[in-house]
Amino acid sequence: MSWTLIQRHLNKLRWLVLSLVFSMLILLPFLHLYQTYAAAHAYDLLSPMEKTISDSMEWLTKPFIKDPATDLNQVKGTTWSATLFGVKVSDPLAVVGHVAADKQIYIPFLVTALIPIILTMVLGRVFCGWICPATLLYELNDNLAAWLRKAGLPVSRHKLDTRLKYLVLIMGIIISALSGITSFAAMYPPAIIGREIYYAIALSGFGAGMVFFLLTLLFDLMVTRRGFCRYVCPGGALYSLLGRFRLLRIKRDVTQCNDCAKCNVVCQFGLDPLRDDFSQECNNCTACIAVCPTDALSFTLNIKDQAFQGAGHMGHLHRKKESESE
Amino acid sequence: MKRRSFIQQLTLGVGVLGFTAMPFWLSRLLTPRANAEAHRHIPLPGAKRSRAAFLQACMGCGLCGEVCPPRCIKFHKDDAGKAANTPYIDPEHKGCILCGDCMNVCPTEALNVIPIKNVDMGVAQIDRAACYPWVDQGICGACVSVCPLGDTAIDFTFGNFYRPAVKDGCVGCGQCVEVCPEPSLPIRIVERSEGKVARHGVGFRQLDKWQDGQRLKY
Repeated sequence: MSWTLIQRHLNKLRWLVLSLVFSMLILLPFLHLYQTYAAAHAYDLLSPMEKTISDSMEWLTKPFIKDPATDLNQVKGTTWSATLFGVKVSDPLAVVGHVAADKQIYIPFLVTALIPIILTMVLGRVFCGWICPATLLYELNDNLAAWLRKAGLPVSRHKLDTRLKYLVLIMGIIISALSGITSFAAMYPPAIIGREIYYAIALSGFGAGMVFFLLTLLFDLMVTRRGFCRYVCPGGALYSLLGRFRLLRIKRDVTQCNDCAKCNVVCQFGLDPLRDDFSQECNNCTACIAVCPTDALSFTLNIKDQAFQGAGHMGHLHRKKESESE
Repeated sequence: MKRRSFIQQLTLGVGVLGFTAMPFWLSRLLTPRANAEAHRHIPLPGAKRSRAAFLQACMGCGLCGEVCPPRCIKFHKDDAGKAANTPYIDPEHKGCILCGDCMNVCPTEALNVIPIKNVDMGVAQIDRAACYPWVDQGICGACVSVCPLGDTAIDFTFGNFYRPAVKDGCVGCGQCVEVCPEPSLPIRIVERSEGKVARHGVGFRQLDKWQDGQRLKY
């Protein structure tokens, strides 16, 4: 009972985590501003606005640290590459792009991607659903698309082939190798978001990446539902491949299911939980578990998806078949 | 009929490849290449000396900028083509304090941890036709007093108290450029091969603009 209850509310926890990651990305540049003010011992020379930033950040961090100029270096970076309490963590896609561009293997950098790779192999595309700062905006964008659809506008109706993103990944590796730069950095939304927020707050303003990100938002809104994550994102492709034989996955309990298909509607990745089709695309976001009225969907530990189990036993299709056989 | 289906397949293939390559050229299209002034875009301490090797190694995470205490590290944005999202220092805005935080935090080999005296960001070049003390015995010495490396990098010439001369120990951190009070900035960071002394005089900026067309590599 209690485990079922927890699973039903995991989606709320996910939103909390997503918002926390996003707000950290906004907070970190402000903390860096405060650090620079503190390092320069220049409080009296600051403008009123800068004084406000300095005061509020001091109020926020005072209980936890002694010397802001050095202690706040413990948590730095974005989801593309970060250093957390001395441990460097990088996106596996950064490592792939870096190896392709550099044409040599730099071991200390490979090691930084180890934790995300292991997590992905156990938990699947969990970065996409639970951490990625772009996911928060994409999901809100998808809600907007849902409202527009409700208002009668024919938005985001198309479907493409999910295998396109693997081609994007291969294309990116080839382009990185040819041009000699990590080309993923310029078009991978989480990298763009983290960087552009830093540019906007601590440096002079948004760069070109934000324009690209707005284009992807428009693509999602107008062309296909969550289109960038499902069809284009090379990071999603890499995480899908890594998480293909993940341990943690969602399964449908056929004896509880009543074929209401709410799970199919709520799944932004366009998967088919109703027919046990999660595949490697599922990012364990738990939205379908939260919406299921009969608690038929739950987490399980298994490296393979269950084959289609037939119509749910609570649904009318199954009852009809049973009465026919009797 | 067979040829027709072949052409259809070909069109589909080209279309799919075009679609998958689109994000990359779109993001490149948004960062057009522009002519940057080299002495306002100097490399970071510990950076690989070859520009191409640095671009290969840097993957644009921006960690170096996020740990920089004086916030002197800036990033190429929509003006740089290939170099987009890679860091640089504009010494006319703020010079590097040689704290070494960026070298330590860099996850790749773009910035290597090296001793401060081995850092090679360029070298300070003094325009003796524009610097106050060199032109008319003015009293200044700002660059000499601010230099973090002391008299191994910059010092007054013998017998002329306020005439600065750059020495071999200069690593090109650019603090002298930041602090120089002369509006035409007689001191700036250049490639080591360009020498420590210049005599551009009045209007060297125009001359510089003309030179930049050929001199710039990125």
